[in-house]
Amino acid sequence: MVELNATLIAQIINFLILVAILAKVAYKPLMKALADRQARIEGNLATAEQERTAAAELKREYQEQLAQARTQAQAIVEKATKLAEQTKDEIIQEARAEHARLLKEAREEIARERERAIAELRGEVVSLSIAAATKIVGHNIDAATNSKLVTDFIDKLDADKMGGLKC
Amino acid sequence: MAHLAGLAFNMDTLMMTWLVMAIVIGIAVLATRRLSLVPSGWQNLLEMLVTALVDQIDSVMGSKGRALAPLIITLFLFILIANWLGLVPGLTSPTSDLNTTLGLALMVIGLVQVLGIIHKGIGGYLGHFIQPFWWLLPINIIEELSKPLTLGFRLFGNILAGEILIVILGVLVPMWIPIPNIIWLGFSVFVGVVQAFIFTMLSMSYLSSAFKDSH
Repeated sequence: MVELNATLIAQIINFLILVAILAKVAYKPLMKALADRQARIEGNLATAEQERTAAAELKREYQEQLAQARTQAQAIVEKATKLAEQTKDEIIQEARAEHARLLKEAREEIARERERAIAELRGEVVSLSIAAATKIVGHNIDAATNSKLVTDFIDKLDADKMGGLKC
Repeated sequence: MAHLAGLAFNMDTLMMTWLVMAIVIGIAVLATRRLSLVPSGWQNLLEMLVTALVDQIDSVMGSKGRALAPLIITLFLFILIANWLGLVPGLTSPTSDLNTTLGLALMVIGLVQVLGIIHKGIGGYLGHFIQPFWWLLPINIIEELSKPLTLGFRLFGNILAGEILIVILGVLVPMWIPIPNIIWLGFSVFVGVVQAFIFTMLSMSYLSSAFKDSH
């Protein structure tokens, strides 16, 4: 074990063969795998950084858009409110006009009714008066004279007693 | 012992060396058979070892050391497995044969000289033997010669002592008291790692001195 002989040379050769085999079989593929992994990790980190920047940009854009949308919404609401106010005023005005028109019509109707009623009443009164007068007087004047007489009388009545009054 | 063409070979040592080579290659193939981005099992182990050693190489030898990385890594793996092989009953460590350890040490130191000549040129290489003073030449030569000797004998002595003690403990201590044996085996495992590491680190520092302009 302690004496030196040709084994020494053989061991050196053995070892160099082992170095050659390992360098080819293990070292090179392993270093390549390590380099690949490093490249991959670096690539992933770079990509992540890029995506982060892109996301930040996108977020900023969205916030801008959101703010814009908010402003627009506010404007729309304001416009709608204004329109509604306007419409309300219009409707109220229309309602007022309609109301006034209806009131006027009703008044006119009432006035017409009254005229008609007065005229009818007058006719009744004339014929009643004639009938009463006929009975009182005992004889009948011809119809035309009668009618004229009473109508005159009532007209005078109207003028004297009822002229100032409004029915 | 076998004789071939007038040369003597320790067949036992050679067999064990081939076994160690087979194991190391087996581990390497096992670890790199299916290289994946997400390492697992043997790949993890070997990657850890290789990256640790490559980091050491980078810090000790600088960027030029990368070319020697396969040699350094193989040195560590080979010596480690060789040291541990002797702990298996019936097998002996190739590193308990002085031929192996001295052979490796001489190879490393020879490589240091070759690299030194390549890197510094003949003049620069010879010049560093007479630095800082010409009369230090004998000391420098002794220093250079002592490197492979200490490197080889240290590993050889540690591993041989470990194996001898295992045998002696087996003889001295009865089989039914296994505690000393187990403790010594555990310690031998530790010594195997440490000696492989020391040999590798010293080789690295010797090799790095070949790259330096002066020291």
